[in-house]
Amino acid sequence: MIINHPILGPRDAAEFVCLGDACMIDRPDWEAEDAMQQFHEYGYLRDNPAGQHQELWYHEQGDRSWLVLTRNTLTHEITKVEMARDVARSRGRDK
Amino acid sequence: MSQSNRINGGLIDRSQTWDFTFNGKKMQGHPGDTLASALIANGQKLVGRSFKYHRPRGIFTAGSEEPNALVQLRAGAHQEPNTRATVAELFDGLTATSQNHRGPLEYDFMAVTDFLSPFLSAGFYYKTFMWPKAFWEKIYEPIIRSSAGLGSLSMKEDPDSYDKGFLHCDLLVIGAGPSGLSAALTAARSGARVILADEDFRPGGRLNSETLEVDGMSGSDWAAHTVAELSAMDNVRLMTRTTVYGAYDHGTYGALEKCTDHLASSGGKPRQILWRIYSKRAVLAAGATERPIAFGNNDRPGVMMASAVRTYVNRFGATPGQQVAVFTNNDDGWRTAKDLADKGVEVNAVIDTRNQPPVIEIPGARYHRDAKVRDTIGRKGIKAITLADDQVIPVDCLAVSGGWNPNVHLTCHQRGRPEWRDDINAFVPGGVLPVGMTVAGAANGQLSLASALQEGHDQAAAQLKDIGIKVAKAKLPQAEDEARESVAFWHVKESDKRAWVDLQNDVTVKDVKLANHEGFRSVELLKRYTTMGMATDQGKTSNISGLAILAEEAGKTIPEVGTTIFRPPYTPVPMGALGGRARGKDFRPYRLTPSHKWAEANGGSFVTVGNWMRAEWYTRGNEKGWRDSVDREVQMTRNSVGICDVTTLGKIDVQGKDAAAFLNKVYANGFAKLDVGKVRYGIMLREDGICYDDGTTARMSENHYVMTTTTANAVLVFRRMEFARQCLWPNMDVHLISTTDGWAQFAVAGPNARNLLRKVVDDEHDMSNEAFPFMACGEVTICGGMPARLFRISFSGELAYEIAVPARYGNSMMSVLNEAGAEFDACPYGTEALGVMRIEKGHAAGNELNGQTTAHNLGMGRMVSQKKECIGNVLSQRPELVRDDAIKLMGFKPVNPETKLIAGSHFINKGAEANMDNDQGWMTSVAYSPILGHSIGLGFIKSGDTRKGEIVRAVSPLHGTEMEVEICSAHFIDPEGERLRA
Amino acid sequence: MPEFTLTAEPPLMGLNETFGDMVLRAPADMAIVSIALPLGGEEAALKAIKAAYGVAMPEVGQMATSKGGETLMRMSMDQGFVVFTHPTPDANAIVNAKLKGKAYTTDQTDVWCALELSGATSRDALERICPLDLHDAGFAVGEAKRTMMEHLGTIIARTDTDTWLLMSGSSSAGSFLHAIETSIKNVS
Repeated sequence: MIINHPILGPRDAAEFVCLGDACMIDRPDWEAEDAMQQFHEYGYLRDNPAGQHQELWYHEQGDRSWLVLTRNTLTHEITKVEMARDVARSRGRDK
Repeated sequence: MSQSNRINGGLIDRSQTWDFTFNGKKMQGHPGDTLASALIANGQKLVGRSFKYHRPRGIFTAGSEEPNALVQLRAGAHQEPNTRATVAELFDGLTATSQNHRGPLEYDFMAVTDFLSPFLSAGFYYKTFMWPKAFWEKIYEPIIRSSAGLGSLSMKEDPDSYDKGFLHCDLLVIGAGPSGLSAALTAARSGARVILADEDFRPGGRLNSETLEVDGMSGSDWAAHTVAELSAMDNVRLMTRTTVYGAYDHGTYGALEKCTDHLASSGGKPRQILWRIYSKRAVLAAGATERPIAFGNNDRPGVMMASAVRTYVNRFGATPGQQVAVFTNNDDGWRTAKDLADKGVEVNAVIDTRNQPPVIEIPGARYHRDAKVRDTIGRKGIKAITLADDQVIPVDCLAVSGGWNPNVHLTCHQRGRPEWRDDINAFVPGGVLPVGMTVAGAANGQLSLASALQEGHDQAAAQLKDIGIKVAKAKLPQAEDEARESVAFWHVKESDKRAWVDLQNDVTVKDVKLANHEGFRSVELLKRYTTMGMATDQGKTSNISGLAILAEEAGKTIPEVGTTIFRPPYTPVPMGALGGRARGKDFRPYRLTPSHKWAEANGGSFVTVGNWMRAEWYTRGNEKGWRDSVDREVQMTRNSVGICDVTTLGKIDVQGKDAAAFLNKVYANGFAKLDVGKVRYGIMLREDGICYDDGTTARMSENHYVMTTTTANAVLVFRRMEFARQCLWPNMDVHLISTTDGWAQFAVAGPNARNLLRKVVDDEHDMSNEAFPFMACGEVTICGGMPARLFRISFSGELAYEIAVPARYGNSMMSVLNEAGAEFDACPYGTEALGVMRIEKGHAAGNELNGQTTAHNLGMGRMVSQKKECIGNVLSQRPELVRDDAIKLMGFKPVNPETKLIAGSHFINKGAEANMDNDQGWMTSVAYSPILGHSIGLGFIKSGDTRKGEIVRAVSPLHGTEMEVEICSAHFIDPEGERLRA
Repeated sequence: MPEFTLTAEPPLMGLNETFGDMVLRAPADMAIVSIALPLGGEEAALKAIKAAYGVAMPEVGQMATSKGGETLMRMSMDQGFVVFTHPTPDANAIVNAKLKGKAYTTDQTDVWCALELSGATSRDALERICPLDLHDAGFAVGEAKRTMMEHLGTIIARTDTDTWLLMSGSSSAGSFLHAIETSIKNVS
């Protein structure tokens, strides 16, 4: 696959490491009353969609950025590549 | 016999004659020949034996689709089996042998299987070798294995080298036939970066094999002119002998270039290169493959594809026969008859399945309309054919044309599914093609020359437009549209003899019918049940005919039956090419520690740790075995001082205003309040609460920390920290950079460690215990101003330091430390002694941090803070992970001190049966302690912290051992830490 | 006088080989210091870099060279390298002083080993191991990119039409050299 890095342009997926579902960004609040339950879901429950999927990829052999790819798991079509840091901020991770 | 079948003309260089041998027989050929064309020129009809029935077989095609003519090329370690003679270029001195026979090719002892064929129908193995069950392993399988397979390997290491590479282009054109050349020309003249790849050594495709004209010159001349123009352009990379074998995601293609296969010797250069081609767009111009018609005994040597016969005659000046008949269901077959007649080869019959006037008048040939070939005669070479009306016609070659199948393979490597076109009786590309690919020419069903040239241009132009390249105006190459009418005709029903569909796998029409009859009605099941379409040719000449016969038998239409899925590779790719350079010691990169050279010169023995080569011990004098060296190193270190290269531990430079807060999140224990000039041991958890890694982090200044990780996890910890920094806490000012390779770091351990370092560290640095206590760190200078970092940390339990210098000084530093230590009888120690000492001290390492254990298990449960946000602390408190009777890390010593403990042993209470229900835990690490004089171990055991002094059994069913051990503290040495604080 | 002296032995020290039209050599005394731009302090840091070197920190993937011969390479949004000739192991202190604490610096000199490959066919050699497009359209003079060659993380910079600077981890210098040399031999 070719990942069109938002800053570096198209790069071979071999330069990247895939972590999986971008829901890993949405780490629960450790102080929540049901934190144990939330972390359980965060750690273990994943959707496995046949189609559009947002996933985390790390450009280990590149600029070391984490990216959020919107990728179709059936066709491998990548419709969007974002810097994960921007995505994390936009999802309200404010620390 | 000297080139008895050589005729005039052709694209071979007759000014040179080359010698080669086939089965030891001396033959001659010319530059421009393939092995197949040279064999034909020399009148060699019989070239191999079939896979299952050992039937005599001859050359069937003139291209990479060849099912029959598989030979072994070269000799000795260079021997290569299953090479298609039709694509093997001739060179002077080539040696080839036929395969799949016992005894001489002409008298194969295994041919007896052919007479047993009534019993060997589809599914024979599945049906026959069922009973008795015990026979399978001892009798059936060895016999089947010894008779299976085609060629044989040399069983020697491949002496050739292989390479890989990466290419980029705007437009990749796959195939250099008429449409490919036309496409490449359009793109090249428009200034696009073009790669034109073709599997042949001579570009031109069918233009070299036929007599059609382009732009008023012969097709082959036009091809040569076009190639010359393309070759002269900087923006074109013309790759001959290069097969694009796979279409991968996003315009990436795999290609195999055969660089030196056509030479007697590779000259030390890579024999083949596996290219990864990144294209913005691609035009597939892979052409089409002619398909046979199945009839009785249609596999005899001399029965060939009609297009192959004219290729040998036109391109290679070699005729496969002196008396040829043509059997066709389409107009194109007639052109073979005409080309042969024009060359003076006798064509005595044209048999057309259609009832219509002759397409072309062929002088001397009798035309049989609405006729069929029912059978052939001649076991080792065809002698005559029998028509359906029982007429017998003597021939020594039968050219068969059953129509043309577009080469759609690469369109299907992702989600393409071919579509049937009734007007040409063939599948054309359909479904969703690989991103960026379009198809032109015969591969797209444009079977006539003029339409192929036109479509090559059109597809290239459309592709360029799509990527914003302006298409240069140019005159299109002109040619005529030749007649291409055909009918769907797959097999001769009047044949009562076996009619072959798949020559390579010996699948007959009857086998296909039987498969359908037995319920294998899906084309994918048909393939697996009969093996049709498997092996080196992947059914290029058989698949479509086979599924057409299945459709007929099942009463379905051909599109209803559909094709099997084509997968890469298009043609076979040698394992050597896939491996590339990754062989032997270059299989993967290796990393050397800074003191490697010194270690080599001082008795170091090396062990692979990940990619690292580390000294495991340093042999001295007359030490006989590793234990002698390791025991000595431990004793010398504990008695005085030892030096160990610990550079391999991961080092991460952490800086930023929020560095402290960040570390506090990635480590489970507190890091917010670490003072400048201090080091702290830290433990990292996974989010699920299991221990991930441990190490120390030193605070060098207000906003600057130096973290160490375990050797194995250096890359992974860095990755996780980047994840935490960018994805979890994106607004922290914290920056990471690896410095693992930048600093040579040495542990200096033992009661004399300080005394040794005092000689090296510059005098202005106070080394006293008060000024630089346990867990202190700082920047110092050594040897008169050299910047260094000093950490007072200990893995051995001794008074110990780690000192780091810029890596380029590391080798020298090792030497200096040993020199400075000479007066204390210092010694270098390796990873084994390091391991012994950490077990003696009860430090956890990889065996204990194995991805299953928690801080609670390691006796560090209280370190996991619940008062801060950090990775893993929430789930670490799951009830099952914090049970009172959880396994705990303990020490173990044998009740009988002579006994050697065994790692991996499981603990069973005394008197209990040794089974998993009674499992109490397991031994993780063992060592012989030269200090204590007996074997010691670390391990996890249920409620271990309350069981000190208890005797349990350490059982290893794997080793068949059982021994009594006493549970004790994991700190065998210096449990109160007096030595390391000294 | 100190009792002991340390000598520098960088892994590819002194390497200088010629293969046909290609020359492969290890640059001597090449110091490398990384510069991280503080979050929220990027502007101040970039200003300090400009003031220190007379040229601005370039865009990601680009290089800029100062009058004094120092080369700035931008490796990512918040990190760049400064590469300069400097024999003694105090490169970090020098850069740090120049930037007056406006950016975080880390000595990377010994983290990397470097090779310079030049010659008309050098691109043919690099094509065997470098997945990046090395032609003018994809890689202009003055660009520096991070990628992977033969499983080794590598920085490749085009310093001139036919000259490439290659940097990879110093501990795997032997494997790196082998990879480059093999590529050269396979095409020359």
